[in-house]
Amino acid sequence: MGTGRVAFITMLELHNLVCRYGKIAAVKGISLAVKRGQLVALIGANGAGKTTTLKSISGLLPPAEGQILFEGRDVTRGTARDMLSLGIAHAPEGRRVFPQMTVEENLEMGAYLRRDGRAIAQDMERVFEQFPRLAERRAQVAGTLSGGEQQMLAIGRALMSRPKLLLFDEPSLGLAPNIVERTFAIIQEIRTSGTTILMVEQNAYAALEMCDYAYLLESGSLALEGSGQQLLSNPHVRTAYLGG
Amino acid sequence: MGQFLQHLVNTLILGGTYALLGIGLTLIFGIMRVVNFTHGELYAFGAYAVFALSMLLGANFFLALVLALLGGMALGALIEIVLLRPMRGADIDTTMLVMIGAWIIMQNLEMLTWGGVAKAVVTPFPEVPLVIGSVSVSYLRVFVLVMALVLIAATYFLINRTKLGKAMRATFQDADTAALMGVSINRIYTATFAIGSGLAAAAGALLGPVFLAFPTMGDLAALKSFAIVILGGLGSITGATIGGFILAFVEELGAGYVSSGYRDAMGFVIIILVLMFRPTGLFARAERIG
Ligand SMILES: Nc1ncnc2c1ncn2[C@@H]1O[C@H](COP(=O)(O)OP(=O)(O)OP(=O)(O)O)[C@@H](O)[C@H]1O
Ligand SMILES: [Mg+2]
Repeated sequence: MGTGRVAFITMLELHNLVCRYGKIAAVKGISLAVKRGQLVALIGANGAGKTTTLKSISGLLPPAEGQILFEGRDVTRGTARDMLSLGIAHAPEGRRVFPQMTVEENLEMGAYLRRDGRAIAQDMERVFEQFPRLAERRAQVAGTLSGGEQQMLAIGRALMSRPKLLLFDEPSLGLAPNIVERTFAIIQEIRTSGTTILMVEQNAYAALEMCDYAYLLESGSLALEGSGQQLLSNPHVRTAYLGG
Repeated sequence: MGQFLQHLVNTLILGGTYALLGIGLTLIFGIMRVVNFTHGELYAFGAYAVFALSMLLGANFFLALVLALLGGMALGALIEIVLLRPMRGADIDTTMLVMIGAWIIMQNLEMLTWGGVAKAVVTPFPEVPLVIGSVSVSYLRVFVLVMALVLIAATYFLINRTKLGKAMRATFQDADTAALMGVSINRIYTATFAIGSGLAAAAGALLGPVFLAFPTMGDLAALKSFAIVILGGLGSITGATIGGFILAFVEELGAGYVSSGYRDAMGFVIIILVLMFRPTGLFARAERIG
């Protein structure tokens, strides 16, 4: 990596991030960093604050305290639109495709902020090459797709903004085992092609296996961090999250 | 038979403007979940705007119609930004109370400005009606129908074929996810309220010259809009379009075959019947917009 990029090695930094719903703090002062080109996993039990953390990174939920830096810039007060135009895309929990829109319209929504019509069309064709099942269903409304197809659509839609950083919230949730495997393979491909990834996963084993670095969140605070292998061999993680 | 044909023609003419009212209200409710009690006042605004522009300021009638539509949109945008935006996230009851307050204020302002006497608008259309067989209809009314159909078509086009429309549909289906796509929800809400209000103002601008402009005209229009939206299913543009024509038809029959005094009661009858027997509206499939 050239020296000109040194300032960018850390892509995303959270400093003492606090997020509240009303008076209740769901995230209680966490600090983490995602480096360019990494796949970072954020794991933790139900209600630990994983989704909340992603929502505040993507601008859906302004943090109560703390700081969010993206490529060295303070973006703590950014709206969802600001974050997207900086290059942060968020594939939300539960996929959240637009159910009454066609597959194509969903992908177009992913490119909503872009103005380069021809490149958008090319990117859409690339998504269809990557996900042939979506190509067959271009004109089908997304609400009638299977869960796996919806997940592919949600991923394709997130890619349509050409993000630098992609946030995945439980991409394996509710999918059949073979589709889960396929989903993780696709996420790894996306990383290989140069997009940085921050991924929230309940499936701790798979997430730790594939990530470069991981954070463990417990009741809104960071309990542990380290490489995937370090966390995999940690006794606490083994008993609490990997089933012994 | 001849009389029935006449009723059908009247239905078409009234139904077009009713559809405009219904579409405007259902768009706002569908996308913003706001029960818009100022809708009728925007209708009255449209009628008074045409009166003021063409009768007092001497503007061309057609220009006055266009300006009434644009003025309605501007007024709607203003209401959204000043009254609704600060209350984002407040519960629906609070918003409803504020809108009721706005409705009362607007109506009283109309009374203050124009007085209680109804105002008539003179149009460039010939006084003698068009007579075909046993059916007679004024040129103005034919023009009103054509304009209403044009506006309905324009709204369909906007919602289904433009980028703004796509963002509106996305916001309707899932506002948070739409925001993640870069849609500015505030702008969509303002645009939605402006478009819905513009349609109400256009309906008033078109029907004002047919009937008269008077300060309480908005009340009946609001009631009818609610009847149409309940009939067509909340959030359904197609439902509101069909609902507008159905209400007009029922009113015509009520006025023609029961008693002309019952015309305006038909909206209530429809609301009660629909809520009793099919509370999701006649045309509601799943919730959708478009
Ligand atoms: N909109 C909300 N309003 C109030 N409280 C909320 C809201 N969303 C989440 N919470 C609370 O914040 C805490 C963290 O929730 P969050 O969704 O971030 O957890 P999570 O780690 O993503 O859990 P899961 O694995 O179940 O998705 C929980 O206690 C939850 O009840
Ligand atoms: Mg979650």
